[in-house]
Formats: sequence, C-alpha cells, structure tokens
Amino acid sequence: MTLVNSTSVAVERPESVTEAADLLRGTDGPLLFRGAGTKQAWAGRPVEPALVVETGRLSSVLAYNPADMTVAVGAGMPLRDLQDLLGEKGQWLALDPSTESAGATVGGLLGTGDSGPRRLRYGALRDLVIGVTLVLSDGTVARGGGTVIKNVAGYDLPKLLYGSLGTLGLVAEVVLRLHPRPAATATATVQVPVDEAGELALRLAASPLEPAAVDWGDVDGGLLAVRFEGTPAGVEGRRSAAGELLGGAAGVEWRTGADEETVWQRLAEGHRPEEEETLAVAGTLPGRTADVAWALSEAAEASGVRTALASRPALGLHTARFAGAPAAVGAAVTAWRERVLAMGGSVLLRDRPAAVDAEVDAVGPPPSSVGLLRSLHRRLDPHGRCAPGRLGSWLPHPAPGEDRDRS
Amino acid sequence: MTTYTEEYRELVAETPRGAVTAAFREEVAAVVSPGGLISEPAQLHTYECDGLTGYRVTPALVVLPATTEEVAAVVRLCARHRIPFVARGAGTGLSGGALPVADGIVIGLARMRKMLSVDVDNQRAVVQPGVTNAGISAAVGGHDLYFAPDPSSQIVCTIGGNVAENSGGAHCLKYGFTTNHVLALTFVTPDGDVVTLGGDSTDQLGPDLRAVVLGSEGTLGIVTEITVRLLRRPEAVRTLVADFPDAEQAGNAVSDLVAAGIVPAAVEMLDELAIEACEKAVQAGYTLGSPAALVVELDGVEAEVEEEFERVQEICRRNASTHIRIAGDPVERAKVWKGRKAAFAAMGRISPDYFVQDGVIPRTKLGSTLTRIREMSDAAGLRVANVFHAGDGNLHPLVLYDAAVPGQAEQAEHLATAIVELCVEQGGSITGEHGVGSDKACSMVKMFGPDDLTVMARIRAAFDPQGLCNPGKVLPTPRLCGERPGPYRPHPLESAGIIERL
Repeated sequence: MTLVNSTSVAVERPESVTEAADLLRGTDGPLLFRGAGTKQAWAGRPVEPALVVETGRLSSVLAYNPADMTVAVGAGMPLRDLQDLLGEKGQWLALDPSTESAGATVGGLLGTGDSGPRRLRYGALRDLVIGVTLVLSDGTVARGGGTVIKNVAGYDLPKLLYGSLGTLGLVAEVVLRLHPRPAATATATVQVPVDEAGELALRLAASPLEPAAVDWGDVDGGLLAVRFEGTPAGVEGRRSAAGELLGGAAGVEWRTGADEETVWQRLAEGHRPEEEETLAVAGTLPGRTADVAWALSEAAEASGVRTALASRPALGLHTARFAGAPAAVGAAVTAWRERVLAMGGSVLLRDRPAAVDAEVDAVGPPPSSVGLLRSLHRRLDPHGRCAPGRLGSWLPHPAPGEDRDRS
Repeated sequence: MTTYTEEYRELVAETPRGAVTAAFREEVAAVVSPGGLISEPAQLHTYECDGLTGYRVTPALVVLPATTEEVAAVVRLCARHRIPFVARGAGTGLSGGALPVADGIVIGLARMRKMLSVDVDNQRAVVQPGVTNAGISAAVGGHDLYFAPDPSSQIVCTIGGNVAENSGGAHCLKYGFTTNHVLALTFVTPDGDVVTLGGDSTDQLGPDLRAVVLGSEGTLGIVTEITVRLLRRPEAVRTLVADFPDAEQAGNAVSDLVAAGIVPAAVEMLDELAIEACEKAVQAGYTLGSPAALVVELDGVEAEVEEEFERVQEICRRNASTHIRIAGDPVERAKVWKGRKAAFAAMGRISPDYFVQDGVIPRTKLGSTLTRIREMSDAAGLRVANVFHAGDGNLHPLVLYDAAVPGQAEQAEHLATAIVELCVEQGGSITGEHGVGSDKACSMVKMFGPDDLTVMARIRAAFDPQGLCNPGKVLPTPRLCGERPGPYRPHPLESAGIIERL
C-alpha cells in the first residue's frame, strides 16, 4: 500500500521483513522510519524523505514463551499493547517511558533510547534487548544477538542500535528480556528543592534499600518520589529505614494504589512536551544534579526564557523545558548544553517548535569518536539514506539532488 | 545454500601484511618505556596460547605498554607497517581470543594495572585494563560497593579481558553482564587514535559504539581505560544446595521459581558426575551419588530475601528434593561456591582429558536437551558431565575422554561440537560467556546467516579496514574453517590451583 500525502512523500507500511527489505532495495532517496511518530523531532531535523516507512503492520508477537521470560515482536508493536499481553502472565517489559501512553512502539523506543523512572532498577532498553532484525537501506536483512538472554556470539548489533535514531537502518524485529511483575509497590514522597533531592538520591544509592525509581519534579514546589517494589514483606520492611533516610516521619508521605499512580503520572508530565515548548535531556553524573539545575536557571535568566526541570537524580538524567521567543530559547539551550558538556555530560535535544531549529545546533559539538561513527555509518548506509540530518553535522548528509555516492 | 556472500569474502580477505623486522622492533622499542619489549624466543613461548591451550602460535614480538599513549604509538606503528596485533589481558580466556597471529605482535596490558580513581558518591571507578576483576571489588569493598560481573577466573582475569569478552559469571542471571556495568571506555582505534566511547552519562547521543566494542573480543581496537559502574552490596544473601532424584525434577524446580516471580541472584545445577568430581577435589559438602543438585542464591533487602527464601525451599520440596542444605554463614556459603566453581578443574579427578562447551538453550528446553545429550553420550560411549547456569540456560557440558586411547580425542571433539550444534537447533547460542574467539569462529555459520555475517564484517571493517586487529577471531575465515583444535590442556595457573573455570 502506498499513500501519497500533499507534499508527495510516499508512505509505505510493509507487512513483513521481506516486504520491507524489497521496499528499501527497490527505491532510492532519503528514508524516514516511523513507529508511532512520538519522537520524530528528536535530535536533528531530517531532510524531507522520498519515502517514509511505517512499522505499524510489523507489530505481531513472533514468539512468546513466558517460562523463558523472553518475547520476540515486530518493531511496530506499541509498548502498551505488549504490556497488556505480558501482564496476563504476570510479566512485563521493565520499561516505563512517558511516551507509552501516546502509543510509542518497541522499535522506536530502542532507536531513541527512551526510558522511564524504573530504569534505575531494571536498566534501559539497552539492557533488555537481546536480539534484533535490522533492514539496511540496501535491503540487506541482518539479525544480531539471539533469542536467549545469555549470548556473546558476534557483535552486539541490538545494543548498537540503542539511540541510533534511525540512522543505521530499519529496526524490524526486536527480542526482549522480560521481568516478573512485582507483587507489591509503595512510594514515599517528600517535598524538597532539587538540590536536596540530589543529595537524597545519593544517600538512597549508598543505602541497601534498592529503590526502583527516584524522581524529582517541579510539582507542589518540588516533589521527590521514591518507589520501592518487590514482595509485600520486602516493601513493608523498607518503610522505616526509608522514612528515616528521607528526613524523618514528619515530611514523608507513603502512597499506594491509585494515589501512588497519580503521583507518578504527575511526575511523568515533566518529561512530556507541551505545545510550543522545547525539551532537552541531559545525562550527567548523579552527583551533578544541583549543578545542572543551577546551570539551567542561569541560562534562563540570561536569555529571558521560562524553564522547568524534571530530574531522575539517581540516574543523572534531567529533562529541561524551555518556553519563549525562538532566538532566546536557542540561546538558552546552547548555553545550558555548554555547561552540561563542560561537566562531562551529554545532551539530547528533543521536541521543539520548528522556529527554534534555526536558532540552535541540534546535536552540538561532535564527540571524539565521531570518526568511528562516520566510518560505521558509511559501511551500513553507504548512500546516507537513513534519516539524513538526524545527527546534524556528525554525519554527512547531501542535500536532495546532490550525488549521493559522494557521501 | 551459500555460507558466505561475495562481499563477506572480500571484507575478511587477508590483506598484504608487513613483517616484524629488526627495524620495526627498534621503532617499537623507542615508543615504550623500559622493560616493555619481549623478544627472547623462550619468553615468547609464554604467550603462545591463552586458556584454550589446544591452539598455539608463537608471536614475533610481545610489547607491554605502560600507558594509553604507548599503546596508541605501538598501534600506529602496526598500522603503518601492516603488522597484525593481538591484545592480551591475563590469558585466561577459553576460546582462543588472545591466540597470537604468526608474524604478528601481542600487546599485553599487564603493566597497566592501576585503579585510576574511585568515585564513591557516584558509584563508579576508572581502572586500567590490567586490573583484575576481583581487584576492583576488593578496592571498593570498604565503601560497601562491588563490581557485579563475577567470572569464575575473577581472581586473575582482568577487566580488559572482561570488556573484550563481555564476561558474565554465576550472578549475571540477576545482574547482567560486563556490558551492563561499563559506562565509558578510552579506546585506541586500529589507526592509533585515542577516543572516548560512552561517558559520565548512561546515554550518549547516537548509536551506542561502546556497546559494540564490548564483547568484540579485541577485534575492533584496544581498550586502555574503563569506567565501571559499582553496585551497593546487598543487605542480605541466602544460599542453599538442594539435591534432586534427577535433573528433570531439578529443572522443574527452576521453572517453578521463575513462575513464582522470583529472580534469584544465581541458580546453578550440577549432575552426578560433576558432583563426584567436585567432592573428590574440594570436599565442599555436596551429596555424593545425588543425581542432580541445585545451588540457589538470593540477595537483596533482608525482609524480601527471607520471604522468598522460604518459598524457594517449598518449591524444591514440592519438586521432590531429597535434601536441602542451607549455608548458615558466609564461610559455609564460600564453601558451596568453592565446590561449584571447582567443577571444571575437578574433572581431572575423574578423567584424564576433557573438552568443555559453553552452549546456551532456552531454559525451558533443559530437560529435553539433557536427554539428547545423554543419548549422544551413550551412542559415543563417552561420559559427559554437566554443570550449568540453570537460571539462564547456559550449559557447560564436559566431554570426558582419554587422549591415550587412539581415536578417542577426535570422537570426543566430534561429540562436543555436536552438543553445541544441538544448542543452536534448540534456539540457543554457541557461546554464553566464553566467547567465539578462534575456537568457535567456524561455528558462527550455524547461528548466523550469510547476510548477518556480512553486516558483522562491515562493522569490523568500519573500525579496522586493514584487518590487523586480532584477525581470525569471531568471524569465520572461509579458508580456515574445517580445521579443528587440539584437546584441552589445563592452563598452568589452573593446574597450580590458582584459578578455576566456569
């Protein structure tokens, strides 16, 4: 099926890996791969594609054996559908990104490296992916990893694709490691400013309490939420030590059930874009949380934009939101990124209005490994067809009409 | 069906190579600090193999650089003169990953063994590649921190080797592999450039190059600094050994643990032959004559571990466990693990020679696979002892034989290969933790198709277009596949009882 929209971009929705491979082999020009389309704006803005390949019909369960705690799915499988299916067997893919409710797909989540609060306990999709089927732009179909959790045969293609943002090829199938759903969960909340939250996160990490998630958001003047999960006795047994660590019984509230879910939904809002806002996520050492927050308020002040922060201080991941005139937002993002990079961190520019694009370098200065990245890209996508522009200046991307072979 | 594409053959084709001349030696000598060059034939022999002692090649030269800059300078010379080079840690690998290349050099990282920094608050450490796995945990133990991957050779194997092999260990069931515990690498490319992969943050922008280097078995470059993630020691640890009337019942107990939503820190299984060998070697208190034993360890928060440990015992009893022994204290626990980890070296007590395999199967196929292995063992007239990481389906069948009996080594080798291929047929892998190396490169075609291998060859060529960096490992060399390794011989350190296998 070919759909042609108003700007004559063809959209294809292949139903099998073979069909996807034939499609890529039989066409030329820039490609864009799309799952639910929840993160199309992340990093650099790709050039207008000649063909959009959507994974919506590559969404079946290929193999699920609950007793092995692995599942193989088409990349277009929405995470929430997968979780429903796994939930029937008391299992889940231990991933809780805020884009799940918007229909984010497994393939898209792998390609973007998106994650949620419980990454603290279970790791990112990088840690949960065990196999992948990749379709290269020349139609070559490559499988990497396998279907068993423990496997060191060959190069780790599945993890290489983590965060690749669709620049190396189409992720068509994904094999995942699963976890049992915890029997019990409870969340402690305490109202603290972000710097204090950073301190508490370090103390929690140094304790034997093994929190599943530690999140701070600009909610009710600053709210730190700490989730514990496991067996009922295990969750109950942590209460007094956790309460003490978080500053004594006075300020600590324990939440379970619907009340608990509401807190986490409110905190997730801080990681979602609102209309006309610009989002960027910084990764740093956990101990730099206060510095990241301080750098953000300084950048906001200097540029005259409004900003907000939502932080996962134990992971060192911080989402900043910017609102204001495009030039001012561009200046604030650039200034903040410089500060984060100077402290050894990394920054991924996410959603933003189109007008901000002209005001900010989407990817920032290239890392020392950019030569290897370019070399790898040249070998896997020699004509530079996969989302040219997504990694900005880091990868060569000829303008449409230019001789693609020169890349 | 074609095994290799034309593109693959071109990508892995051997390019013209230079020779290690006196002039080259002098150039290398000029860039490494004193004591960094080994060229005496007798000393070179020390480096002719790793833990897979059946393959031996004497290198033309061994270089022991002391810094990242020295490694880079040596690699640049190799690139310029087209000399193949093989990086080496402690040489405990079991797949011939550090097997030298004739007319090539070995770059040993043994002199780079400093802990460069420990960041207690952020729970990480920066170490040089020659630091031992156990050395990291020892250095940070005072802060209640440890490095989670625990290969059985951890007393001597180095973190550089762990990065190359993406090493696991008994506890990777719960905690993952080396790749899950490495945040950043200082990496010398095959051109001799020094770059950083990964960083302070768990996420970097763009494809995860750090992930593809981890487990690449030294074929993409040389790692000279590693930032590792450290974990807080768990509050509680509980360990038991449960005997079962047969392996199938033990396997059912593992299935029930999984179904109950319990994720143990480790679940290990030994069969009767393995128990016999272990008891003869170290008297760890396993029940002689028991057809199967499970070692189950839980760790975590005290209240949770206590609750689940009760359930583990119930599940074992429900599956007809004949005896449960609980390790009452850390000394007893250490004894249980000593027995388990000695299993491999202990085979010498019950057989003059043996081959070890490292296949993986989906855990639920354990029962049927064991039955097949037994049938194959009976048909071949050779004994097979079984030790597994039962929680993740990683089997270590030990094919016992006597090299003094004409033809038996070949027969044993044939059986060992057939067992690994059986694992692949069951939907598993040729290697769970020992790596592909030289040993299993030819078996890669059992697991991966022509295009899969072509893409891996493209990745390799992207890093190392000249094909100088540990050539002949991981990816099959079409010309060589057909040749077979010699019998297993214990590593000298193993014979001396300093290291163990599995």
